[in-house]
Amino acid sequence: MNVLWLLTKRAVREAIRTPEATVPLLFIPVFFLVVNLGQFGEAFEGASWLRGQSYAAFQLPVSLIFAVIGIGSGLAMVAEIENGYFDKFLVAPISRVHILLGRLGADFLRNLVTGSVVLFIGLILGVRIRAGVVGAVVLILLAAFFGVAYGASAILIALRTGNTQAVNLASLIFFPLLFLSPNGVPRENMQGWLQVAARFNPITYVLEGTRSLVIEGWRGGPLLACLLVTAATAVVLLGLSVRAMKSYGDL
Amino acid sequence: MAEAAKKTPAKKAPAGRTTAKTVAKAAPRKAPAKKAPAKAAPRKRAAAAVVPDEVLAEVREVPGLIDAPAPAAPDRWAIEVAGLRKSFKGGVDAVNGVDLRVREGEVFGFLGPNGAGKTTTVRMLCTLLGITDGSAYVAGHDVVREPAAVRRRIGVALQEIGLDPLQTARELLTLQCGLYGMNAARATERANELLDLVGLTEAADRRTKTFSGGMKRRLDLASALVHHPDVLFLDEPTTGLDPASRATVWEEVRRINDAGTTVFLTTQYLEEADQLCDRLAIIDRGRIVAEGTPDELKASMGHDVITVDVADADSAAAREALATLAQRIVDDNGELALYVENGAECVPEVVRLLDRAGVSARSLSVSRPTLDDVFLQATGRRLEGDEEEVSA
Repeated sequence: MNVLWLLTKRAVREAIRTPEATVPLLFIPVFFLVVNLGQFGEAFEGASWLRGQSYAAFQLPVSLIFAVIGIGSGLAMVAEIENGYFDKFLVAPISRVHILLGRLGADFLRNLVTGSVVLFIGLILGVRIRAGVVGAVVLILLAAFFGVAYGASAILIALRTGNTQAVNLASLIFFPLLFLSPNGVPRENMQGWLQVAARFNPITYVLEGTRSLVIEGWRGGPLLACLLVTAATAVVLLGLSVRAMKSYGDL
Repeated sequence: MAEAAKKTPAKKAPAGRTTAKTVAKAAPRKAPAKKAPAKAAPRKRAAAAVVPDEVLAEVREVPGLIDAPAPAAPDRWAIEVAGLRKSFKGGVDAVNGVDLRVREGEVFGFLGPNGAGKTTTVRMLCTLLGITDGSAYVAGHDVVREPAAVRRRIGVALQEIGLDPLQTARELLTLQCGLYGMNAARATERANELLDLVGLTEAADRRTKTFSGGMKRRLDLASALVHHPDVLFLDEPTTGLDPASRATVWEEVRRINDAGTTVFLTTQYLEEADQLCDRLAIIDRGRIVAEGTPDELKASMGHDVITVDVADADSAAAREALATLAQRIVDDNGELALYVENGAECVPEVVRLLDRAGVSARSLSVSRPTLDDVFLQATGRRLEGDEEEVSA
């Protein structure tokens, strides 16, 4: 049996048996979507940057990102380190990278599910994906992949500190990042200083890229920027996690 | 068979702490048969403690039977450790120059109080923790340079009982089998075998978080055995268990060992070391302070121990008064342990000397040395947790 698949399967089983870890990943984005729509829906109705769609279309990418930013794997890893089950993997004749990828693989599958649910709710609210069905698939895949890359930060902290509170920081830090990005209006409509902050914020490009698929259809620029930022996030955070994994235990 | 001699009831019986095991150990032992290659000699566990070099010498006299000098080649030892050191950040030397050799097929005990360096040593030997200095070979492979080879040959059950609370016992064992390269069918089969072996078949489909401490310990043990390891590491396998569960684990360890697996076991229970181990080392503050078979260690003590309990204020005076009588005196908070050739003969003299010094003894007793005394002599302290000891 392929070890990576076994480890992924086990992490999926864990996720299914701890719905309390997944439910917030659905509740928060849906809550944000509905509340933001209620607050600003009318005010922004007919705005040129909505291109004829409702404000829900503009907010959908924000909700999608919320739905995939899970630090559950990091928390589960801390629990595993604490109760000693982690040692069983480390002492088995398997690649340490597989231990990491098994968790992230399960995260990816979970993100596909939570992302699809949020997309579905968006569709119910009348959002149309201008890039079509393929665009919708790309949208979900991009979001799921970004979520995995972001989730690696929680695993990195878990491996480095073994501390639950520290891992929670990974989710806490997401909020300032989100609010320093064009999450409510396009970047051009933000105040100068905020525009500057947004320019250096990776979340900006992830939002703009995914949003372009919803509102504008296929546009190379924002999509490419989104891909590059996602890939860079993955390379950095996954790279650091792999290194932390390989050297875990002073090896 | 030497094996049979080794496993006579004297070893297993609920032996009092002072029961001599020498009877069993002295039972006639077959010289290694001609067909047995060089490696067989250290495998004869009863012989291991005292005889191996003589046996080997015998074997070596048969021309052509052995061509290489037998001792010290790494693959002859299940575990071979030299100058092992571990310093943690902040300059704590948890393990400070440990040398060890564990023979194939023996149960080797690593005895010491909490914080002595037992777990740190085990984690280094299991490739879970990097080593600061020194070398360690396990099952013939270097833990630093060939960790993968070591991992394939060892089973590990650590102190914390690492189980995933969300998986059932069957899922956990099946996964474990998969990690050791078995296909799905074989993994299922092996998981069933192991569940049966540790008596968890009925609980197999319950999540492990519902298990009692003893059940968890047994499942953990089973998960360390999926791949028939050559060397099994057990880190305090009975800490926190009730007496009945402890006895079950002991039985299990004996059974595993009878099947040929070398067992390296850490414990803070003297009784456990005495009952289970062929040889043991006492570790204190990161160093080995004594090593040998339980009998050797007791025999090395001088013969008897007279324990005199005096008021704290009197202990110095008592020590002085008795100094000429004993080979060695250890003072453990007013409880003086006197190591003497013949305890019974010395008692009147002890009483006289104390009387002359104006010290009154609260109690006075004579005993054959126990591992507790060995420990006390080696470290100057009694082993904490001793009162929790269980007589199996």
